Amino acid sequence: MKLRINLHPALRLPPITWVLIPLMAIGFTVAMVRFALGIGPISNLNNTYGWGFWISFDLFTGVAISSGGFIMAGLVYILQIKEFKPLLRPSVLTAFLGYLMVAIALLVDLGHPERIWYMMVYWNHTSVLLEIGICVMSYLTVLAIEFAPVVFEGLKWEKPAHLIHKFIMPFVILGVVLSTLHQSSLGSLLLIESTKLHPLWWTPILPVMFFTSALSIGLSMIILESSLSARYFQRGLETHLLEKLARAIPYTAGTYLLLKLADLAFTGELGLLFTSGKMSLLFWAEILIGCITPIIMFSIKKVRQSPNGLLAGAVITLLGMILNRFNVSWFGIARLNDPGYAPSLVEMSISVAIFSAGILAFGLAAKYLPLFEAEEHAPATGD
Amino acid sequence: MTKQHAYLFDATRCIDCRACMIACSVENNVEMGESYIWLSGAGVMGEYPDLKRASMPYHCMHCLEPDCESACPVGAWHKREDGPVVYDASKCIGCRYCMNACPFQVPHFDWNKGIIEGAFIRKCTMCTQRLEVGQVPACVHTCPTNALVFGERADLIAEAHARIAAHPDRYINHVYGEFENGGTSYLILSHVPFTELGLPEMPETPVNAVSEAVMEGTIPFALAWGTVLSGVAIGINQMNKKKTPSSPALPPRGEGSNPPLPPVEGSGVRENGTEATK
Repeated sequence: MKLRINLHPALRLPPITWVLIPLMAIGFTVAMVRFALGIGPISNLNNTYGWGFWISFDLFTGVAISSGGFIMAGLVYILQIKEFKPLLRPSVLTAFLGYLMVAIALLVDLGHPERIWYMMVYWNHTSVLLEIGICVMSYLTVLAIEFAPVVFEGLKWEKPAHLIHKFIMPFVILGVVLSTLHQSSLGSLLLIESTKLHPLWWTPILPVMFFTSALSIGLSMIILESSLSARYFQRGLETHLLEKLARAIPYTAGTYLLLKLADLAFTGELGLLFTSGKMSLLFWAEILIGCITPIIMFSIKKVRQSPNGLLAGAVITLLGMILNRFNVSWFGIARLNDPGYAPSLVEMSISVAIFSAGILAFGLAAKYLPLFEAEEHAPATGD
Repeated sequence: MTKQHAYLFDATRCIDCRACMIACSVENNVEMGESYIWLSGAGVMGEYPDLKRASMPYHCMHCLEPDCESACPVGAWHKREDGPVVYDASKCIGCRYCMNACPFQVPHFDWNKGIIEGAFIRKCTMCTQRLEVGQVPACVHTCPTNALVFGERADLIAEAHARIAAHPDRYINHVYGEFENGGTSYLILSHVPFTELGLPEMPETPVNAVSEAVMEGTIPFALAWGTVLSGVAIGINQMNKKKTPSSPALPPRGEGSNPPLPPVEGSGVRENGTEATK
């Protein structure tokens, strides 16, 4: 016998909610312990590994997977390729939630979260982290502005929605500039570790490498997010649009691969591809999964035209390029007197909680806001 | 000109008594076992009968061009003219980028303090409170064998080279810190390879050189990129306008098999022809 509670349809939430909420509760509790007792008791971070899982996953991966927002905004508003409009709103939302998750995670990771605003007051102009902080804060604001019309439409506030649309262009351009800056600056963040980061990854063009891979990641994220939305929110998949995005991935991944090889050849370090033991393996895994496989898969029309092919290709690209973020910010960094570090489950529970909150927020937005309607019928402001 | 203070450590004189660590803990009021100095070294090396033993109290290197100072987003680090690299806890946001940036892995963090107690970065201060009253740092003051001495950096470099010249058989012919990472205010003489003392092999250019160069280019790049994007957006807009003078027949670019797009009123993109689909 099944217990049935009659909820108003608008209040019915999918069953996964009941998995996400406990995960969020666990993470929230752990975060409270962290604020009370310090980072030590809930994590395995130490003086040799001042940055660990949180930075590699929440910051490096979090920012990278949010790059779909600026790619879509650039395509639709700046290059004015209107057909991509149906993908714009969900991409901007994914980006907005992604950055919000990054910000929340950093508040847990910072020693003094209550001082985060110091970044807006005390400027050290040589600090890459300052640039990233300023860019992320500003871009989060820009994304909120870009997404606000969707919320206003949901609330039936036509006037403010129109007002924002009228003045959206400067914000879009600002958003793309800010994204270009901090996506690449995450790479610049590691420039200062020239004596620690393995030469397979350290190069003065780290910012260019990061921007190029952010393009692959962003395109894959749009494909992934659309594919999952189509599956879970019972809506049509814009396969013809995703096919076009997928067509670009061999170019972004190819550019990354060529730059990488050219850079290694230029510095005479190609030998490292085979002689660095575990590092060589990690590097090859990243390149094979994140570059070579996507180049092959997405060069095949049949793969691009099949929903499953698109999804698989996108997931593979993401795995490879996320491995890159972990390599650069964690695995590839040599330490003096390495005591070792593996993140604890408790430590990871914070990231899991924040990720769960992001998924839940996306689900709620999909349910209550006009997120996907642009293609089906005609609300006033479809972008 | 202000006198630029520095330490000179001579590994051949160190007897591994760790009095410096105790003195440091007492002077700076930090818990025992958490002094700003830690012991680094090789233990016993080589094969009998040719044995060597070496140890070193690992301080902050007090770089001339510190990477912590370069990296800190809020400017909590500062290289003083008289030598020490000092930390302003009242500015620190606890991001720990300095720990990552430091090639010597010097800054330590209060892992076991919550936000009310306040978790800060810890490292050797060169006992600035003692310098101000004309005293040498506590570790130097305590060292029983003069393995650690303190003075003006230029004098100490001369002294180090003099010691090498006097006993070329005893020392490796190199003063670590004279040029490493752009020069440091902690200079080291050793009879064993410096890596055995736990020191990294460092280039002479400070590791912050590339990132500082990139940061300098950031604002010009941002302005140029913003201008290019604006130009592209305006250009495409104009082209689309020309293509669709007023005729409602033309579908927007790349419309293909899509259902007609919604009318876009009052939107930033309305000028470019999407009106046509009304």
